[in-house]
Amino acid sequence: MDFHTSQNKLDYNHPLRPPSEVMKLDRLGSFHQTRLSFARRLIDDLKYQKCKIEIDQWNIDFNGIGNAIIKIALKNETLSLVIFCHSISDEERTDRVIAEKWDMTFSLLRGIPNKHELNKLSKNLKIQESGRHNSKQLTLSRANKSQRIFEKVLTDLSVGKQPSEKLINDVGYLIRTTAVYGNGKFGIGDFSNKDQSIFLEKPFQAEMLTVYLVRYFSIELINFLAKQKGGKNSVTLSKHLTKHLGVGNATGLGMAPFLVNHQELIHQWIYNREKALSRVFSIKRLDKKTQNKIIHYINQAFKYSLQWKVDDKLQSKRIKELNLDLKKILQNEKLTKLLNFHYPIKRFFDFFKNDITLETQEILNSIFIEPFPKLIKDLINNMGAEEKKSVLIGYTVNDILEIIKDNFNWAIKIDTTKPEENYCFWYTSQTKLEPRLGIAKKDAGIEKQLPFDIAHQIKKAVNILNKLPSNMTAAEVMINQPELRNIIKRIIINKSMPYSEIQNNLIGKDMKPIDILRCKLSFFGASKFDPKSNLWTRITLFQGAPLPNELWKTNVNDWLFPNLSAV
Amino acid sequence: MITVSLNEIYSETYKALRSVNIEWSLAKDCANKAKWLAQHGQNFLEQILKTAVLYQKHDITISINENTNEKPVASALVALLLVEYVSANRITWEGYIDSTKFLLAAMGIIAEEQHIYLILENEKKELVAFTKNKTIYVNSNLDTNVKSYCFLKKYDFIKKKNIKFTSLKKNKDIIRLNDKCWDQLKSMAFKTYVPESETSKSGAGY
Repeated sequence: MDFHTSQNKLDYNHPLRPPSEVMKLDRLGSFHQTRLSFARRLIDDLKYQKCKIEIDQWNIDFNGIGNAIIKIALKNETLSLVIFCHSISDEERTDRVIAEKWDMTFSLLRGIPNKHELNKLSKNLKIQESGRHNSKQLTLSRANKSQRIFEKVLTDLSVGKQPSEKLINDVGYLIRTTAVYGNGKFGIGDFSNKDQSIFLEKPFQAEMLTVYLVRYFSIELINFLAKQKGGKNSVTLSKHLTKHLGVGNATGLGMAPFLVNHQELIHQWIYNREKALSRVFSIKRLDKKTQNKIIHYINQAFKYSLQWKVDDKLQSKRIKELNLDLKKILQNEKLTKLLNFHYPIKRFFDFFKNDITLETQEILNSIFIEPFPKLIKDLINNMGAEEKKSVLIGYTVNDILEIIKDNFNWAIKIDTTKPEENYCFWYTSQTKLEPRLGIAKKDAGIEKQLPFDIAHQIKKAVNILNKLPSNMTAAEVMINQPELRNIIKRIIINKSMPYSEIQNNLIGKDMKPIDILRCKLSFFGASKFDPKSNLWTRITLFQGAPLPNELWKTNVNDWLFPNLSAV
Repeated sequence: MITVSLNEIYSETYKALRSVNIEWSLAKDCANKAKWLAQHGQNFLEQILKTAVLYQKHDITISINENTNEKPVASALVALLLVEYVSANRITWEGYIDSTKFLLAAMGIIAEEQHIYLILENEKKELVAFTKNKTIYVNSNLDTNVKSYCFLKKYDFIKKKNIKFTSLKKNKDIIRLNDKCWDQLKSMAFKTYVPESETSKSGAGY
């Protein structure tokens, strides 16, 4: 694959940003949702499928305990979200993935479960990872009510009052998931066995659908409970506020290694994002309507930044800078003129680039892509990647050294002998079997570390390869020295997929895992990143997204950077 | 019997092999071959457990040059490396191998992914298996789960005589395994996990 060549019918093809610029953690950690994000793609696909979402069974009592089934009728198949609501005390309710009790547990299934299956699910879903699950299940998930908001909203609705906009905006969701497992985890169905389901074959589609339905359920639940509590005096949550509610998620290190372990997939995501940017930067002229759209989205982002409140000092500073940058852009007298130039988006970006933060640069990139869904449709539908098990043959020692010279200079530059470059290690924790980060000189378990020391492996490979005949095949090197196989495979993949490697030392002291999480979450379509440390963050998904009964509407998927005043 | 997913087969296998200090990439290759065998309706689990034991006792080798009848090549670990090596260097490899089953998986994988035509013969020069058009065909009359001396090479033309060959096809969505063997694999995998520490807690959403 020649990743520099043109990909569209535009008369000019703006070069893609090089991996050395894009694949740095500080930039990856500044990404925002785009039209390529999976939450956005799901809405497109649900609309295309003329999907019908309805409550199939509702056996929930006035305390909110019981079970329910939401039916999802697609063109060629029926899925269902099975929900169990449990009684737990406030002390048992925690964001931590290692919790053992939750307010609600869920599973997305093929078809509608019968009584026997429902009975089995009732025993296994509530214990999540400890249960034994079956291949009809596509996901496994759980959520807790937000203690900051759920009861307050319920009380207000039950006495006929709408909750305050500030409250809804400050939290943004009624319930928060702490994990959404898919693809064969704990015995659920493998995604490779989806019987060529076009709808489900796209990456993270089943997980995103689960979260979207969880959002729908949370709204149905609060309206139901308000009615139970307040009877005739109660009201349902206004459409205006309902739409501003997403689903919260607490994301820790569990998802970070995904980007290291799935080189082909991360390349495809970032490559497509960069291709989308290249295409919009290559547009020669913008009509007035599109110019206005771009200004509208910048305005939306500005308002969004005003309503994006977090406790984390660093992120607060970044949001403040973002807000100032966007204000500066909106107030710039050349704004309209820039959008009237030839290659207006490129001119616009180049004009501001050096005076704005990475956070602002990347929010602008999301905005630039937004008005052009048709231009990037092929990219939206091509976010998956085939992962090869074998190593591509045909490479020699000389070839491998050349690729290292061209693509891994970032690794060569790192002095891997320094203590700060060997500061931490990644491992799998005994509790919930999730990846974690340890401090090398403090924590036990370094002998069980995961092989994420890519820069170190590159240096070791160079030392060995330099002593071997240059025409020796990579296959011969690997069979004689299997300890090099992991890195040689990565190097060969990186040759044709240059966005497949994060260009930072992942065991260095300066590395911030939160950046890895944010990158992945931006591709999910997350918003309102709310870091709680360098190791985990809260986010909101589907805030501002259409509700199931709105999926048929025109422009249903235009919900970038929702803010309460605009919903 | 227990029903497991392919994802579980992959993750539990490589972790189990890591627990006996098998190199990362060999453990992952083995996990991929195990997954392939499961998808193609072939047994694999007992052979993996056996491989772990023999590896620790030094009764199998990962060297393709220094293998003997007493210490054959561990096909579960190096079969994919071997087919890549034979394909890249265009050589005929011959030697002792503990079981051809994982070698068949490796041939199947490289045929699917890189469309390479390979042929496997036993010491009597009988055709054991060959790959063609992304598919592997196996001699139905031979037991592939035994130790043997074999020849592996690329081919341009093949003489099949009158032997019945069966193509191995992906036909399994639901994988059922012996639960005792599965528990054994899982308990080995568990050894690669690290107990919870204060630092690890902070990554779990505190």
